Amino acid sequence: MSEELLDLHQLEPARFFEQVHSFEFWFEAVEGYLHGLEYGHRRETPEAELSAAERDRLITVLCNYCVGETAALEGAGGLVQIAPNRATKIFLSTQTVDEGRHLEVLVHRLRELGVADPELEIATRATPALLEFKRRLLALVRERDWLAALFAQNVILEAMEFTVFQAHARSADPRTREVLQGIVKDERRHMGFGENELGRRLAAEPGAAQRLAAIRHELDPLVFGSFRDTLARIGGRREEGADLAEHYRAAVARLGFA
Amino acid sequence: MADFLSAYSIQQWLESAPQGYLMNTEYGHPPGEKEPELVFSDPLLREQAIRTTVQLVVGERCALSASSGLVNAAPDEGSKRFLATQTLDEARHVEVFTQRLFDLGVKKSDLESTIRSHANPNLVKFAEVLLEKVDRKDFVAGVVGQNIVLEGMAFHVFELLQATSQALNPKFAHTLSGTIADERRHVGFGENRIGSLIRENPHRKGDVERMQKEMSYYMLATFADSFRAGPTQQEIARLRREAGGALPKSEWQGVNLSELEPREMEAVLADTVLAEFKRRLGRIGLEYQTPARP
Repeated sequence: MSEELLDLHQLEPARFFEQVHSFEFWFEAVEGYLHGLEYGHRRETPEAELSAAERDRLITVLCNYCVGETAALEGAGGLVQIAPNRATKIFLSTQTVDEGRHLEVLVHRLRELGVADPELEIATRATPALLEFKRRLLALVRERDWLAALFAQNVILEAMEFTVFQAHARSADPRTREVLQGIVKDERRHMGFGENELGRRLAAEPGAAQRLAAIRHELDPLVFGSFRDTLARIGGRREEGADLAEHYRAAVARLGFA
Repeated sequence: MADFLSAYSIQQWLESAPQGYLMNTEYGHPPGEKEPELVFSDPLLREQAIRTTVQLVVGERCALSASSGLVNAAPDEGSKRFLATQTLDEARHVEVFTQRLFDLGVKKSDLESTIRSHANPNLVKFAEVLLEKVDRKDFVAGVVGQNIVLEGMAFHVFELLQATSQALNPKFAHTLSGTIADERRHVGFGENRIGSLIRENPHRKGDVERMQKEMSYYMLATFADSFRAGPTQQEIARLRREAGGALPKSEWQGVNLSELEPREMEAVLADTVLAEFKRRLGRIGLEYQTPARP
């Protein structure tokens, strides 16, 4: 397999498509950066000394990440069922387990921070905008609208998480940073899949771009609302929200959805 | 429940499956292993290998659809995460058995038509009964149907196929050993998680038991179609006669499979699976319902 990986880009398009959507490819990809980690960080990475206020803010942020990852887990599971072919079903199965892993490492991090009942804490601290985003995403999946659901999940949600996790990782304590860096690597793969799959669909379906623009128009305020709500709860500055919104817009634009 | 679910975490799964028994495998077997020559030189044996593998793909596609659908229906976060690992396990099974079809010479462009023409209609009905529950987000019925009935059946079918393949087709036997290890984990989760839900929802017993009876009937009908007389079975009987006592011994459930007639093999498989259903259902507080014998 590793020899084949070296020559991956020499493959003819159908074989390339099949290869990069396979379990084998996923395993080769994650093995490199997950090997030796326990719940997303190295065992020897020290726990930072946080003040009570810093710890509380981190818990609020992580609880909201858990809401996003639960949405991603349920969304990816639902997308497996409506995916149009075997290769995309298999890719989305790898994404399902990635999202499950993200939820697991974040919940574990909450426990490390002393949260006794993470599910209760998540329910208490979740922001309304993010919960509404989750509801809308899962409604698209339930309606079996492949194009719209994939866009909401693998472009909007993944770009939002990518932006926030990358920004947070820069200033986070060592353990949280390692956890987030591992997640970001997975998100890149998921966004790549979304871009590729949607790109081909958009080329084949005139009018689809307009539909996706309407969905984005509906979901963007919830993305910005979740940034604003979370920052308000942890005492963040308004400019930070504006920065995140700018980075999110740029991430979506890089995927071809300006 | 939290303690039991910690044994089914993604961390545990990563360490035991991808970083454990699947390490250094390619589509489930050691790199370089090939299907035996005999399969390619005898058209009836190749046809039989394709037919058997198609049933595995059909079963695994059903399992993939069910486990991914149940992620959304699971009542707690730990179960969702376990079902995420099961979703990927099932996708891997779809992938490795599909790859076997390609290894047996099925062209990629003919994959879906081959599956359609060879899929056993009773197995398709078996899958439909389960997926109807999953579509309705019925977690209790879905997990019993998926992780006790479907996985219990798959586990024993894989074991039987592995026993008969070990000497003659090591590639296929190795592929099956990884899937057996996965199925053992899935059955364990089903039994552990669903017992408490049945105790909390005793009113669900009746309809879940009816589903088990219906799925069991279609399973037995699938076995009957697979083992009973046909040109392939006659060809296998001819090869056995020619081989005389030279066939390697393949033992499973205390019997030497190489000495059994197909009907006897069907009976051993059906009795083993049904006895296992009865035991497992009893442990989760359900009463096994005897299906009609096709």
